[in-house]
Amino acid sequence: MWRLKTLNHKASASARDLEDFKRNRREFEKALRQARKDRQLVSKRLLQNVLEDEEEDADNEGSMETDSTPLLPEQVREMVRGVQSGGEEKAARLSSLRKALRNTENQLTFIKTENSMHMLVGQLSGHNAQCQLEASLCLYELSLSPHAVVCQACGPAGPYLLTYLSGQSTKLKEICLYTLGNMCPENNTVREKLLAQGIISVLANCLHNQRYNLAVVEALGFALSQLLQAKDAHEKIIPEVMASGIVPCVILAVSPELAFGLGPAIESAWCLHYLVSSNLDNLILIGQGALSQCCAVLITLGGAVAQGTLLPGVELLIWPLLRCLGNLLVSGGDVMAEDSRLLVALCVFCQVYLHRYPSLSRESLWVLNNLTARSSGFCSGLLLLNLVPLVIHFLSFSKGMSSMAMRVLGNIAHHGSEYCLRLAEAGLLSALCASLKMAEPELVTLSLEVLHIMLSCSPQMIIEFRKLNGVTLLEAIGYNSEREQRVRAAYILNHLFPSLSEVRIMDIFKAMYHYSSCFSF
Amino acid sequence: MLQPELMELLGSATPMLIVEKIPVSEDGEFKSQLLQHKGEETENSPFEFSPQRLPFAAEDDFFEDGDIHRHMYLQNVVTSLADDVQRPTISEFRCHIAGCRQLFDTLEGYEHHYNSLHRNVCSNCKRSFPSNRLLEIHILEWHDSLFQVLAEKQCMYECLVEGCGLKLKTSKERKDHLVKLHSYPPDFRFDRPKKTGRTRGRTQQQDGDMEVSATTSVQHESSESMDFSQSADCLRPAEHDSPKTCFSYKVPSSICFGQGSVRGFRGRRKK
Repeated sequence: MWRLKTLNHKASASARDLEDFKRNRREFEKALRQARKDRQLVSKRLLQNVLEDEEEDADNEGSMETDSTPLLPEQVREMVRGVQSGGEEKAARLSSLRKALRNTENQLTFIKTENSMHMLVGQLSGHNAQCQLEASLCLYELSLSPHAVVCQACGPAGPYLLTYLSGQSTKLKEICLYTLGNMCPENNTVREKLLAQGIISVLANCLHNQRYNLAVVEALGFALSQLLQAKDAHEKIIPEVMASGIVPCVILAVSPELAFGLGPAIESAWCLHYLVSSNLDNLILIGQGALSQCCAVLITLGGAVAQGTLLPGVELLIWPLLRCLGNLLVSGGDVMAEDSRLLVALCVFCQVYLHRYPSLSRESLWVLNNLTARSSGFCSGLLLLNLVPLVIHFLSFSKGMSSMAMRVLGNIAHHGSEYCLRLAEAGLLSALCASLKMAEPELVTLSLEVLHIMLSCSPQMIIEFRKLNGVTLLEAIGYNSEREQRVRAAYILNHLFPSLSEVRIMDIFKAMYHYSSCFSF
Repeated sequence: MLQPELMELLGSATPMLIVEKIPVSEDGEFKSQLLQHKGEETENSPFEFSPQRLPFAAEDDFFEDGDIHRHMYLQNVVTSLADDVQRPTISEFRCHIAGCRQLFDTLEGYEHHYNSLHRNVCSNCKRSFPSNRLLEIHILEWHDSLFQVLAEKQCMYECLVEGCGLKLKTSKERKDHLVKLHSYPPDFRFDRPKKTGRTRGRTQQQDGDMEVSATTSVQHESSESMDFSQSADCLRPAEHDSPKTCFSYKVPSSICFGQGSVRGFRGRRKK
């Protein structure tokens, strides 16, 4: 079952606890960012207490720490023997073992203990359902280990985990799937073996049979996403996934059952993102309905977000959908039915997430760019729905938002004078005057490009721009160190403001020459 | 947040297709006219923009934040603390005055900078003043030769405090007046005497470097209380004074008599 588990942070925690907590989280985040830079960003799914029975949660909340104290090798041996000896206590002993395995030291001790894995596998494949479950949970705990050697030791359990995915117990399937998902990225050998053991076709069958069991769908989506992120995914994994027939089910699963929660949709959407961004078979994906599904779900989510419906973690679903849509549009996809709801939804995301997740706003603007780049329909839509002032508003923000917003506006202006006039009515000329003063070179260059398009469309624009003191701004750019900007500003002044006195223009050129000899071209 | 009609649009269960499209046009009449007008076929346009769909790879930096968020969720570290809201960062922009390279990320900061340093600038010596009035007084006293002439006969040095209206005979007298009556500090930056007693030389420097301290001193000024001392005897209505007692034999430096004069107009006098 999926729950967006917030870190246990009690309301009565002291200010210092809060500071510690925030600091830890910051450091954690820093480590993740570094891992991503090193192309080593791999995570295991941590679902402590969630996979077990609900009534255990209450007991475990407080005592989680005490249960995972490190044990001595003899104690671990004792536990293993205790299970092997059989009897009615077996399940209970496995349960204690499972709790002990939360401690990383114990995990290492366990795999070094003789026959330990053999015992677990035995229990997993035994006839006692309760023991089966407990054994699978033990394996799950082991799969969380930060030590590669532990995961490797779980290798022998692989075929059994896969076998039970075709079995009957959905709870068992769920646990097996998370375990497999944690084991996959760990190590090439483990992954190779699982691939050889047919993990992809097993997953395909499982998803097809279990598509109505959302907990399983979520777990499966996670396992698949782990496979798809492997470094060698391009060569073997993705082609096999595409051939397995699992993709249409994944696409369907992207649409969330709002009553259940977003978990399954989130996992499926991230799978789709990894598939799309690999750029191998995007036309096939489009043919299977990926693009239209992404649009449909984004529209639904846009409506929910706009109304303020509380959907915790919805950004985790919006993110991969935006990326799929953005990249599928590049691969030759087109939103055939130009639905204006999509424009509104994207603008809603831009606006709502500006403070909390600025990158999400920026990615929404990116999708808007890709939509408007080849569609007069979407450009018209933005103008007629009066969404342009919102886009203009984003010209004042950094982190790439302003450049992306400027591209959207440029896309609109590019469609001709009627578009430019409406853009001017929405206030673009004065916004350009502001953006011409910005420090980001890319933004200024883009502003000059858009300005050129706008001014070239009618003499009225030139008059308006002059009234806004725009000519002074352009002249000031003549003193700028960036050649790209100087050249464009000079061109505009030269070609579009012929009434400027020749002397003045010569002065500007002289200044530019002087500056250009100071800076490299 | 969203206009009602847009909310309704978004909430519609059926697709809302864009039927009405604004007509697309190629290069209009006006643009062709422009090209003809200049007639310079040789100059190539430097403009390159065209609408394009941008791709981003999975490992691109563009996607970093989203990936981090995803992985934090996987590892159960996603939280929703109330104070997680960050202010969106504003794009930085630069002061556009030639030579001033100051960067800003808030409009208020920029406006304050501009108003403090770039308004009310003397075009002669490039000093900037906090107000138009002080600028005018400065220009009058420093760059107006007529003023120099008149000042020998009349009390021309205006008190800097608006509303006081008093005019003093010399710069020094004004300073004394300011200090005694208006509790100004003796080293008030905007009341520097023109020639002597000046500690800083001519600055051909940029405005930015020079005037930041000026700004702070102005702020300092405003926080000082005006201590109206009882020395009312300092007040001398300017109009009643006999100009003849203020006569000075000094030739103002900006006046040159003939070629043999010591003070010539060789090069601009550095201030």
